[in-house]
Amino acid sequence: MGVLTLNKRLSARRTPISIFADGDIFTKLSYLVWGLSNMARGQIVKGAMYLAMEIAYIYYMITRGFSSLANMITLGTHEQGMTFDASQGIYVVQQGDNSMLMLLYGVVTIVITSMAVVVWMTSVYSGEDARQRKLDGRKVYGILDDVTSLFDAHIVRLFLSLPLLGILVFTVTPLIYMILMAFTNYDADHQPPGHLFSWVGLENFRAIMDASGKLGATFLPILGWTLVWAVAACFSCYFGGMFLAILINSKGIQLKKLWRTVFVLAMAVPSFISLLVISTMLGKNGIINVLLQNWGFVTEPLPFLTNATWARGTIIVVNLWAGIPATMLMVSGILMNIPPELYESASIDGANPVQQFVKITFPYMLQVTTPYLITNFIGNINNFGVIYFLTGGGPSTLDYYKGAGKTDLLVTWLYKLTNDSNDYNLAATLGILIFIISAVFSMFTYAQARISENEEALQ
Amino acid sequence: MNNKEIIGLRRRPQLIAVGICIVSLVSLFLPLASVGGKTVSGIAAASSLGGLHLIAAILVVLTSTMGLFLLAKPSVKGARLWAACGAVETVSVAILLFASKKIFDSSDLLPGSFLVKDFGIGYWLLLITAFVGLYYAMAATKLSVGYIVLALMTVIWLFPILWIVLTSFRGESGYYVGYFIPRTFTLDNYKNLFTEGGPLPFARWWLNTFFVASISCVLNTLIVLITSFVLSRQRFQGRTLLMKAMMVIGMFPGFMSMIAVYNILKGMGMSQSLGALILVNVASSAMGYYICKGFMDTVPKAMDEAARIDGATNFTIFYKVMLPMAKPIVIYQLMGAFMGPWGDYIFPSLLLGDKQSSYTVAIGLKWLTDQQRIETYYTQFAAGAVLVSVPIVILFVMLQRYYVEGMSGAVKG
Repeated sequence: MGVLTLNKRLSARRTPISIFADGDIFTKLSYLVWGLSNMARGQIVKGAMYLAMEIAYIYYMITRGFSSLANMITLGTHEQGMTFDASQGIYVVQQGDNSMLMLLYGVVTIVITSMAVVVWMTSVYSGEDARQRKLDGRKVYGILDDVTSLFDAHIVRLFLSLPLLGILVFTVTPLIYMILMAFTNYDADHQPPGHLFSWVGLENFRAIMDASGKLGATFLPILGWTLVWAVAACFSCYFGGMFLAILINSKGIQLKKLWRTVFVLAMAVPSFISLLVISTMLGKNGIINVLLQNWGFVTEPLPFLTNATWARGTIIVVNLWAGIPATMLMVSGILMNIPPELYESASIDGANPVQQFVKITFPYMLQVTTPYLITNFIGNINNFGVIYFLTGGGPSTLDYYKGAGKTDLLVTWLYKLTNDSNDYNLAATLGILIFIISAVFSMFTYAQARISENEEALQ
Repeated sequence: MNNKEIIGLRRRPQLIAVGICIVSLVSLFLPLASVGGKTVSGIAAASSLGGLHLIAAILVVLTSTMGLFLLAKPSVKGARLWAACGAVETVSVAILLFASKKIFDSSDLLPGSFLVKDFGIGYWLLLITAFVGLYYAMAATKLSVGYIVLALMTVIWLFPILWIVLTSFRGESGYYVGYFIPRTFTLDNYKNLFTEGGPLPFARWWLNTFFVASISCVLNTLIVLITSFVLSRQRFQGRTLLMKAMMVIGMFPGFMSMIAVYNILKGMGMSQSLGALILVNVASSAMGYYICKGFMDTVPKAMDEAARIDGATNFTIFYKVMLPMAKPIVIYQLMGAFMGPWGDYIFPSLLLGDKQSSYTVAIGLKWLTDQQRIETYYTQFAAGAVLVSVPIVILFVMLQRYYVEGMSGAVKG
């Protein structure tokens, strides 16, 4: 253990440059021929593996990589079109460049290259480690030792490699690809393979922010509604849930478990089911309108989901159905942590339940649940399901850009832009803007929670 | 708050309740409703219509008499009975709000069609006094008034659930029906879902979903556990950087890269397959390490050190020390990872396109509520919805303790 930590500290201070400067000829050469330093100290298999990876990388770069990078800069030069074939005397379709694939391959090449850099640096450090060990007369690990160490000292490599690979392939790569797309004009009019698209810089951001254009006239109201919705949904569920939890936990209520289960039932139903069911219930011929007419409350069906104002209200109210029980469950545990003496002394002083809530319960809850509240707020900004299953963003309006509707949130609009109108560049731009909004709000949470400080204190 | 008590009864609320009872008695003689210039009082409606109106009127009189009687001869048992009577009265008056149209329209007491806005001062006063009177009667007998609110909320919350369950047993097909409780009950809706060669491959959808959800759930939990363990217990270069990077990546909306993921899968020749769905569900699961790591941070490090002195490797510590300790969070993670794919709609629908045999229940059921199909399949949709919800609801209700633990762990963060 002692040697190991010492060794770790040493390697932490070493930089690739100092290793190069201090190393012998094999070390120096191993910057060019990966794994050479390992092989020179007897780690034949390990060195060979590094070398094999270098060869594979170089092969990839020569066959595809370099051209991919070059294509990524131009995004294609040959547009698909008809050319006159003199030998046959007719026009034939000439395959053009596919900008989308070029961009994708470019991103893949960048990701592969950064992985190659990581392997390269690992090989340098590994070679240096072997050299130091040989110098000190300590045992140079063979491949079997390396494999066993995966289960102990190097468990990080064993445990993290697969999860990180997954994230790299299915999250990071697509994300880079989409972020780059925000700086192109890959919209409905520039669809590969028929057409090329190209880099346009910040043009999309300008168009979306420009309030005088159609896009800006869509973006700003949708942003406004998204924020209104997030605030309304977040706080209505928060206070509703807190009220319900206090109610169920209050002294005089018997059968607490039964009451709680009633509401848990509502949140346990998969949300797509409850939302689909409720949306069918709220339709023009849905049961709610039928009953309201049967009961004589109204003579005409109410436009719950078809009138913009009604739909917005309906969405917020329906969201309570699953949201209040969720908060109730979360809050119940915290409520029990509030010292009961506080309430006792408060009631001796003659505080009524409302005063007790305002002076004791609420301040305590707010303090404990602020991170949750912010996470929940961000979650609501990105709450796709409620909108998609209830209204699908509708009622749509001609004031908005292509098919966006009055209840669309930024995320559902983003979805429509990719799925319905194929304006990938705008969708990507919107995604970046949503990211910025989420990041700003998250900073409040993390400033408050200070993760890195807490984790040591807990152990 | 002067709550004088006489043999277990709070005097002040009791007096108020009795006062309100008398007001409700008076309101029986005020105009209950008026249509087309003709007005009916509560007492007249009760005497000529009978039925619900009569029951409500009798209950109002009964409650008031009991209240007055209790003033003279207070007893706890009597007061309880009084409150119970008040509760039944309140329910019957509240039902009148919904049933009056039917009752009036089928009688010839009032000319023309009745609407709720035709109710007169008598009814509204009756409704308000019923609720407020019940409130004070319960306060007098020291019953929690929270029951009133809970009962109302329960009705609202169970309404959609009740509707879909009833619809799933409804004999008459169709989306639009003019009533809540089915005229005929049948099991055919369920049978139709499972008929071999029937119109809907529901059994297939259900099995697909179960397959995807259970495999994703196991793999997802495994990945989250190993990631959290390493991030919680090991100190390595780039650890905080890695955690920050995951946090930042997590802030991008997932829908943004969905198309790109789809393209990548297509490039791998895996589109329209359930395997691809599992792969995508599992691939990025490490991003959700946060809650699990938070839990592992609270497991004392002394346990690791003790194991280490006994010669345990890190892997053994993970397997023999951490896993048993982390049982609640493992269950929480398994639950979440199962329920996620079970109800996931957007990505599966994009990935599976029109390949119906690979549909999961979420896509299948959404497909059934389409404009063109909803009329034909609504009762089957209801049966499907029940079958999809039941396993999850049972699972959730059974394991909610772990859910709460996990959630509160997340709050403490």
